[in-house]
Amino acid sequence: MHIVVCLKQIIDPEIPPHIFHIDPIKRKQIRGKQALVISSFDEVALEVALQLRERVGGKVTIITIGGSEAVEALHTALAMGADEAILLSDPALDDSDSFGKAHILAAALRRLGEFDGVLCGRQAGDVELGLVGPFLAEEMGLPCVTLVANIEPGDGKVRLRRPIEDGYEILETSLPFLATVTNDESNVPRYASVRGIRAAMRRRIPVWSAADLGLNPAIVRPEAARIKLEELFIPKREMRCELIEGESGPEKGKRLALRLRELKLI
Amino acid sequence: MMMNILAFCFASAEELPRASVELLAAARQLGDKLGDGKVQALLLGPGVEEYGETLVHRGADEVFTVSHPRLQYHEAEVVLGTLETAVQRLSPGVVLFPHDALGGDVGPRLAYRLGTGIITDCVGFESEDGLIRWLRPVYGGKAMAYMVAGGPMQLATIRSRAFEPLPADPGSQGEVQALEIDVDCIPSQVSFVEKIQEAVEGISLDQAQVIVSGGRGMGNAEGFSALGALAGVLGAAVGGSRPAADLGWVPHSRLVGQTGKIVAPNLYIAVAISGAPQHMAGAGSAKTIVAINKDEDAPIFKVAHIGVVGEWEKVIPALTAACKEVLNG
Repeated sequence: MHIVVCLKQIIDPEIPPHIFHIDPIKRKQIRGKQALVISSFDEVALEVALQLRERVGGKVTIITIGGSEAVEALHTALAMGADEAILLSDPALDDSDSFGKAHILAAALRRLGEFDGVLCGRQAGDVELGLVGPFLAEEMGLPCVTLVANIEPGDGKVRLRRPIEDGYEILETSLPFLATVTNDESNVPRYASVRGIRAAMRRRIPVWSAADLGLNPAIVRPEAARIKLEELFIPKREMRCELIEGESGPEKGKRLALRLRELKLI
Repeated sequence: MMMNILAFCFASAEELPRASVELLAAARQLGDKLGDGKVQALLLGPGVEEYGETLVHRGADEVFTVSHPRLQYHEAEVVLGTLETAVQRLSPGVVLFPHDALGGDVGPRLAYRLGTGIITDCVGFESEDGLIRWLRPVYGGKAMAYMVAGGPMQLATIRSRAFEPLPADPGSQGEVQALEIDVDCIPSQVSFVEKIQEAVEGISLDQAQVIVSGGRGMGNAEGFSALGALAGVLGAAVGGSRPAADLGWVPHSRLVGQTGKIVAPNLYIAVAISGAPQHMAGAGSAKTIVAINKDEDAPIFKVAHIGVVGEWEKVIPALTAACKEVLNG
């Protein structure tokens, strides 16, 4: 089975708010000294793909759109166990909207030729629109299942497990398919081993340009965007927290109970 | 130009979800800003006709219903096909969806089919000359953005709890009509196999007036039994942050946060939770937030109303005992 995973490299989203800075003119986060990482749901999608390959064989190909720095994300993914990696890189591809990104990824999938499934994280860890996966499925005419946590292979089809409110549901679809991936206990991403990282660093990653992909500039150029971020700001939160004082933990616990009662909260 | 606002209200025969009435409140508010145009509800689901009047009482000027047994939560393609036909027929200026599993699936796909922009997970909006600027959190809630959708129609998904439902007004008048759509002929490439129900312990997060949540700082799954004891005394539901859920200390169905449940209880007690924006996106709508954390610099104290700096191992047992005493006394 050939599974393609679409990854996005982002600035580490786990950084605390006091070192989170934005450029309000460019309407983007300022990277500063922060690390670049694979967006967490995309990492989960890769884990799901690797688990699927372990059960039925085949290969996992990862693709990403980005500049030369995105090679690092691809190296990490290779070290986790992906077989092939492709970087879609072109200044002409910068700042396209979700329609543009889906168009670029679709062109790459067509160039790859044969594949059985495409996995995307449910949403990227930066702007978090959650659009590229569903858009890509529509552009490619693939059956689409969203918020999948695990995939079981079958004969010419797959069974997709999707967590819901009070358990989970199983859906089935034929190949090739597209799924967006969410996390649960079964798909915690594996770590890349040091040896794996060393081996991955030696891999040369093919780079496909806009011309290689035969893209429609009317869709990918930023001026064509139908989804625009107009204004970015950090909201001010002015809140005074009433601290419960006390000599010891137990005393504070008791006073908290009395205060909550006083406020009629319990 | 008149811009009608269409709210995507998906229901089951058993219940009309809160999301539908929240969506009408959002649509009403947007309608008032845009000046003209009607608030329309598109009510889909199996056996849902009876909710038509309820939607009128909750703010819809017109309700269009499509009731069909194939319209189920797990039949996204059938829902999408029905929606596409309905939207083409009604040609509204704006379509609103709840930002949930179904809305986050069919909303973007409808946008693609219509070639029009969509902004997801919106918590507010402003408008000028018919142009809507959608307000939404970005970067895990560390920042906010105003976004604009271009194209023939404006689509948006609305975050749960961002809008208070309008009080039911039994006097309000509106038209309820069935839309004739051939749901049977909509093809679906995805089939439903089965639903596996897991026993749900205790009170659900949605229903609870009080929620006790634990984070990474609980240290292990045993820590959660102390929270369970406190929740038992308070009649509260137990929740957890994403690290606690990822570590298996609470089931993922109990995850409070941006990618889990968004809750709005009267009282939210956050124990050993640092207060990352992703978590606060789920808990921030609580009326009163109490934080218990040993780190006095934890970001949670910037958003909590009441705080206790201390180790949960010392605070929680005393809090539980005192609550028991207060409630029984």
